Order: sequence, then C-alpha cells, then structure tokens
Amino acid sequence: MHTEHAVSAHDEHVPHVLPLSRYLGVWGALLVLTGATVGVSYLDFGTWNVVIALLVATTKALLVASVFMHLAYEKQKFNAVVFLSSAVFLATLMALTMIDTKSRGLNEEIEGARPKVVTQPFVNGVADIVGKPPAVAPAPADAKAAVPASAQSPAAQAPTAPAPAAPAPAVPPAPAAPAK
Amino acid sequence: MINQSARAPSEPAAVTPKFHFAHHFDSAQTQFEANKLGIWLFLVTEVLLFGGLFGAFAVFRSWYLPAFVEAHHHLDKVMGSVNTVVLICSSLTMALAVRSSQQSKKGSTAFFLASTIALACTFLVIKYFEYSHKIEHGLLPGKLWHAEGFVYPQAKIFFGLYFMMTGIHGLHVLIGIGLIGWAFLRNSRSEFSSSYYAPVEGVGLYWHLVDLIWIYLFPLLYLIG
Amino acid sequence: MADTAAVVGAVEDARGTNYLNAERGIMSWLTTLDHKRIAIMYLASILVSFAIGGVLAMLVRLELLTPGRTIMDADTYNRIFTLHGVVMIFLFIIPAIPSALGNFLVPLLVGAKDVAFPRLNLLSLYLYWIGGVVALYALVHGGSDTGWTFYMPYSSKTAAPVISTVLGAFIMGFSSILTGLNFIVTIHKLRAKGMGWFDMPLFLWSIYATSIIQILATPVLGITLLLLVAERLFGIGIFSADQGGDPVLFQHFFWFYSHPAVYIMILPGMGVISELIAVHSRRRPFGYKAIGFSSVAIALLGFLVWGHHMFVSGQSPVASAVFSFLTFFVAIPSGVKMWNWLATLYKGSIVLTVPMLYALAFLFLFSIGGLTGLFLGMLAVNVHLTDTYFVVAHFHYVMMGGTLIAFLGGLHHWWPKLFGKMYDEKLARIAWALVVIGFNATFFVQFIMGARGMPRRYYDYLPKYQFFHAFSTVGSWILGAGFLVMLYYLLISLKNGAPATKNPWGGASLEWQTASPPITENFEHEVEAVHGPYDFEAALKGNR
Repeated sequence: MHTEHAVSAHDEHVPHVLPLSRYLGVWGALLVLTGATVGVSYLDFGTWNVVIALLVATTKALLVASVFMHLAYEKQKFNAVVFLSSAVFLATLMALTMIDTKSRGLNEEIEGARPKVVTQPFVNGVADIVGKPPAVAPAPADAKAAVPASAQSPAAQAPTAPAPAAPAPAVPPAPAAPAK
Repeated sequence: MINQSARAPSEPAAVTPKFHFAHHFDSAQTQFEANKLGIWLFLVTEVLLFGGLFGAFAVFRSWYLPAFVEAHHHLDKVMGSVNTVVLICSSLTMALAVRSSQQSKKGSTAFFLASTIALACTFLVIKYFEYSHKIEHGLLPGKLWHAEGFVYPQAKIFFGLYFMMTGIHGLHVLIGIGLIGWAFLRNSRSEFSSSYYAPVEGVGLYWHLVDLIWIYLFPLLYLIG
Repeated sequence: MADTAAVVGAVEDARGTNYLNAERGIMSWLTTLDHKRIAIMYLASILVSFAIGGVLAMLVRLELLTPGRTIMDADTYNRIFTLHGVVMIFLFIIPAIPSALGNFLVPLLVGAKDVAFPRLNLLSLYLYWIGGVVALYALVHGGSDTGWTFYMPYSSKTAAPVISTVLGAFIMGFSSILTGLNFIVTIHKLRAKGMGWFDMPLFLWSIYATSIIQILATPVLGITLLLLVAERLFGIGIFSADQGGDPVLFQHFFWFYSHPAVYIMILPGMGVISELIAVHSRRRPFGYKAIGFSSVAIALLGFLVWGHHMFVSGQSPVASAVFSFLTFFVAIPSGVKMWNWLATLYKGSIVLTVPMLYALAFLFLFSIGGLTGLFLGMLAVNVHLTDTYFVVAHFHYVMMGGTLIAFLGGLHHWWPKLFGKMYDEKLARIAWALVVIGFNATFFVQFIMGARGMPRRYYDYLPKYQFFHAFSTVGSWILGAGFLVMLYYLLISLKNGAPATKNPWGGASLEWQTASPPITENFEHEVEAVHGPYDFEAALKGNR
C-alpha cells in the first residue's frame, strides 16, 4: 500500500478484458460441478455429506470470485483480502458460537457423575476436583442435583426433547430481568 | 461550485461518452479503484448479513440432524437445481455484460443485461411456484405452520430458517433486478464506455454475490438437509 | 516524507468565504456534498441525541433517589432506561466521534477535497435521521421495556413497540456501515502525495480500525434484529425454547456485534487522545507504530470475546472459559496505548489547555473503566458482579469517562477549526471540573454498590443502598450542571467568540495548515505532505 503518485489528469483507466473462452470455461465448470453436487446428494456418505457439499460449493464460489468477479486479475490485491476477511470473520462467528452450542450440558454430565455437597465442597480433598467420584454419597436434596432436564444426555437428538439450552431451574436467570 | 462538480461525473455529453472523473480524485484510475474497493466492502457486509443465518443453520443442524434430514425432503430438489442453473447462467450473462461495456459495445451490453434480468425473473418465478407449493401444504414459517405428518417437530425450525434464508435471498434478487435495470437504462443513454463502466461492474459484483450465496444455500438446504 | 518545498502556503484566515457561508439557505445544507457541512449536521444531531439521552438519564437517577416509587411506576422506569440505552448507544455514542469529528477531519487530515463517496456520506446522514425518527416514534408509543439488549424471550412477547425501536436501530446500522466504508476507501485512496501509512496522524489509524469493525460487525446486528422482527411477526421460533430454538443464540448474535461496537465507541476516542496529547505537549507520540497497530489489534481481537457478556446466560462453561481466556488478550493493546501516551507526556512541553485537561481526565477515567473490565472478564468474579451496578459503573467509566471525555476534548481542540471561533477558557475549565467531579460522584459509588450486590435495571432496592443511590443522583446533578455550562459557552462562542487563527494550538497535521474555518475545497492548493503530522518545528516554519 504505497501512496498514490502524482498522476496527470489524463490518467485513463484501461480495462483488463478477459477472453470469452475464459468466461465460457468457468460457466461450463460451474454447471458440471452443480451436476456433481446434485448427483452426489443421492448417495450417502454420512458425516462426509456436509464436507463434500461445502467443498464443491467452495470450489464454485472460488471460480465465480476469481474469474467472474475478476479477483484473480486485479492489480489491487487488497480487494481479495477484504473479501476473504469476511469469510474469516464469519467462520469466527460460527466457530465460537458452536463451541458453546456443541458443549451445552457437558458440564452437568460431568458434575452429575460427581455430585458435591455444596456446603462442604472439598470434604474429600483433591479427589473432589479430579479423579473418581468420592465414596461419600451426597444428600440428593442439594441444588446441584436439581438440574434434571440437562442431566439427560443432551447430545441425544430425541425428537421431542426441548433445546438443550432451555433454561433449567437451577441455571441463573437470563441477565435482563427488569423489575415489574 | 462544489456541489455541482461533485455530482455524477458521468453526465453524458452528446453521443461519444466523454468521461471526467470526480474532482476529489486525482485520476480516473484512482476513482475506478476507489469504486471497486467500496463495492467489495459493501459485499463484505452482505456476506456477514447472510452469515448470521448460515450460523443459525449450522447450530440447529448440529442439534437436530434427523429433523433437518426429514424436513429437507419436502423441498423440491429439481426446482432448486433448475434455479441453481438459472443463476449460474445469469452470472455468465452478467459477466459478459461487464465485458461488453469494457469494450464499449453498447448493444452487446444491453443484450447481456437484459438476459440477466430475464434469467433473474425466471428464478423468481420458479421460487414463486416453490413457495406456493409450501403454502399449500402448510409449510409456513413460525405460527403460520399447519403442516402434518412430521415425525420431528423441529422441522419448524428448519422451515423457519428456510424461509428467512431464501426470502432474504429472493429480496436481494429483486433488488438486483432493479439495479441491473438501472444499469440497462444508463447504458441505453450511452453513458458507458471503456473509460467508464464502473456502475456495470459494481452491479455485476453485487449480482455475482447473490449467485455466490445461492451456491451455498442450495446444497445446504436442498441437498443435505 | 517528500522533501520538495511546501506547497501549502500561508493561507490567510478566511474571514471571508469559508464552508459555512459559501452557500446560503437550508436546501444548500440539506443537499450538500461537502463533508464539513455533513459533519456539522451530524454534530448538531448527536448533541441533540445526547441531550435527550441525558434527560432520560436524569429521570432514571431521579427515580432511584429513593427506594420504591419516586416519580414514576416500575413499567415506565423500564421504558425510560431502555430508551436511555438505545438513544445513547445508537443515536449518540456510536456516531459521535466518527460521524461528527471524523467526517470533518478525515479528508483534511489526508489532504483531500472530500471523502471518497460524498453522496454516500449524505445518504448516511439521512439514514441516521430516519433511523432516529423511527426509534423516537417508538418512544411516542410508550417505548420498549426490554432493555437496550432486547433479550429473548421477553422481547418477542412484550406488548411494547419493540419492532419500531429495533427497526430504528437497523436503519442507523446502515448509516454506520456507509460511514465506515467511506473512511476506509478515503484513507486507502485519497491520501496526499508524500503521506504514507506511517505518515498519517494517529487519529486516522483509529478511524481506520473503527471502520473495519463497522463493516464486519454491523451486518450481524442487522440480521439479528431482522430475526427478532420475524420472531415477533411470524413466531419463527429460532430463539424460542418452546419451539426448539435457543434464546442464548440470540445473545450470541447480538453480542457478536455489540461487543465490537464498544470498540467502535472507544477507538476513535483513543485516536483523539493521541492527537490531544501530542499537540498539547508538543511531542511526537511515543511508539507511533505501536499505537497505530494496537488500534487494528483491538479491532480484530474485539471480535473474539463477545461471550463474556453471557457467562451466566446459560452458555456452556466450556465456551465461557474460552471467552474469558480470550478477553484478557484484548486488554493488552489498550495497555500499550496507555503506556505510550504516558511516555509521550513525559518530558513534553505540557500546556494545561482545556483539551489537555480532557485528555488527562481520559487517562485517569479510562484506566479505571478498563481495569474494572478485567474484573468482569474473570469468569468466577463475573458470577458475582454480573448484572449488578458494578457493570453499570464499568461501562459508564469506559463509555462516558472514556469516549465522551475524548469527544469533548476533541470538540474543544477542533472547535476553532470547525467554527473559526474560540470559546471562553474560564467557563470551559469550570465545565470540565463539574463534569469530571460530577461523573466520578455519580459512578464511582456504583462500583461499591454493585460489589455489595445492588442489581442493575432494578426499580426498587433495599434500604442499605439508599445512601449510594442518593449520592449518585446528586452526582448526576453536578454532571448535568457541567453540561449546561458547556452548552452555554459553546453556543455563545459561535456568536461572540474571539476569531480563531489558522493554528491556535501549534499542531502539525494538515488540518492546521488551512484556514479556520476551512474553505469548501479544504485547501487552496494541491496538498503535499512535506513534513510529518507531529513535526511541530517544521510546521511552525511552514506557517510563517
């Protein structure tokens, strides 16, 4: 990114025209890839379905972006950086959100297997923090055990189960609690 | 006066498109590059806008995979595939329209712009048939839902997302038709040439993004559920 | 830096034609493409918004003077504090420095005649106005009572006019996006000959970083608000637990924007402080590149930490731990800036002008605000402090003690440039004192209250907090008095102020090399940056 050099007022913009064959070639490739992705959808590769679909879609996207949108032929490489950054930030949004949504209920599973007496959390020393459940069976009436909904396996996509994030009674309420 | 000189630099003078760049740029090349950078920054905002919906889709698909698989079978793969082909062809015609205006070929530009509009309208017509079919079967968003025969109730979430994603995409197609029409009008007034075709290129970039979004929408919604 | 002779000659103080009187009549203002006029219209608008938000704040504090009902019922109270938040955040603080000061200064600082897209600039002003009107329409119909955060599920169920409030924010979001877009292209493409990236004033680095955030984050707010509208209109269900949706997902999307939004608020303020400290201590900023890069670092890192607003919302502890860990990193670039500013002051020729007073207040107040943010970022501590007055105090220290103070400092620093008039120094110092004292009186006790358990957004409270609330309310009166004094002397200065010279503070950046106020085209001649923006000696020579 250097400063603009002094240019004469007659610095015309000279367009960079691509040959027609380039456009037709990309068009053909896009149609072939579309056919491929539709065809593949009739087969089942389990979890790989998403991966294959996204890979094909991304290939098509790169073709459109680099040729139809001229990114590959731009003098200003920054435009490609700008566009790619949107993908990076979108990926950030999705990744960090899914760290949450994929791990809902995980804590309760772990803690449910090792219930604590809230009033005496470290009665068994280090064993309360790591390792096996303590020998002492805790009172079932303590608050920790009152997390029933999310103590069920949250990963099971039971058809009628409510969303794993449904506020369970022991979970603190959502922050905005305007007094009425 | 500053107001006047800063107005559209492409006010046409007579027949030959004589172009003078805006007064605050130091050259036509700078103005061209600035316009492109501006459009790309705008496209970033569009990506992030749709991105939120893709994010929601990813989250719910990871929670309710069986529901999503069941629900997506109610989408018409054939119509979706045809629409994909239609949009790809419209991308080609749009790119060729830009190419023609780069070569100062007014007639070709007009032809390709018109073809793009025609293909875009085709897309919307097919969409209309798809939506009618959904409405008939009660597959509507949210509280308007009255469909029967679903094993998994989270199909409602799938269709909520389906309508939001395809709806907002369709809205962008409609806006695109308007923009391409505007470019068509300006082209017919001989406002473009190889020294100035930025509006065609800008509209083209927007249109390609609309196509790009569909390239991701189609497999995710229609093919893998 | 180029070494050819300065082409920016001695421009006479334009007591004659300048951008303010070049054209007359209201239409010439409403259809202007001059970035300076657009900036002034923004300035007037945001100051009106600040006044509205301020009155709402005074009403909130007045209600909290005593427990139970003081002047309004609980439902009204909910609407008043919601509107205070919406107005202050969307109508005042997000546009304040970028759209009011930035629009005026960015082309001047790069040495250009205007921003890259003057018509988009005017459009963004119109969108701001339209969005503001739509949001205020909601006020007329009772106002939303959800809090400015519009959390689900309440925001989908309440009878209050959520949709119009939210649509107003949506429209204003576009205004923000267009401003950011304009600035990025302007800084890339319209820099004067001789001005490389590291010859720019630091204010431009912070504006650039702010614009990146505006482009990337605001659209996500847009889609979130659209989904909220869809939820209310069609019951889409994505955020409703009873449909299989997830209310916490709303919070993820909302905070993905709203956390970077706080960096939209503070980064321009930090840019202003860099300028104020440099000019009013006549020292080139210590660690120029560090300050510049730290602005971009804050912008980028700020996208990774939004979950720290959601530690107790039902977000999984795994994610909470990740977000807490990442939150600590975003404090580092801010720390870098603080040290660099202090190092700039050290052995500088400090003049305690009014802008410098604001800069010093910023250093003190933002330190408190920023550090208390770290307390809140700690997961275990957050469980106790969340949704208490500690949070309220924290964000008022950073937004008000930070951004507003920086904005006021910038306003006082560039006022001579904007209007060609000087304001009454003595009154300005009095107002500064009232504002700083009043601010601390209002908000410092809120840290204490919050740590002792007083929840936020509560209409009623236990008698043990009465003293703190009363203290805080009286503080708000002092603060309000300060602003009234400020309004008075600033308005008077427009009419009776001493005429300002081209460069009353001895600055070296380009805006000080042209008349006060500038002519419409900004500079008499084609601009070339012959010396750096902090080369005060060279600037002095050039101005003779």
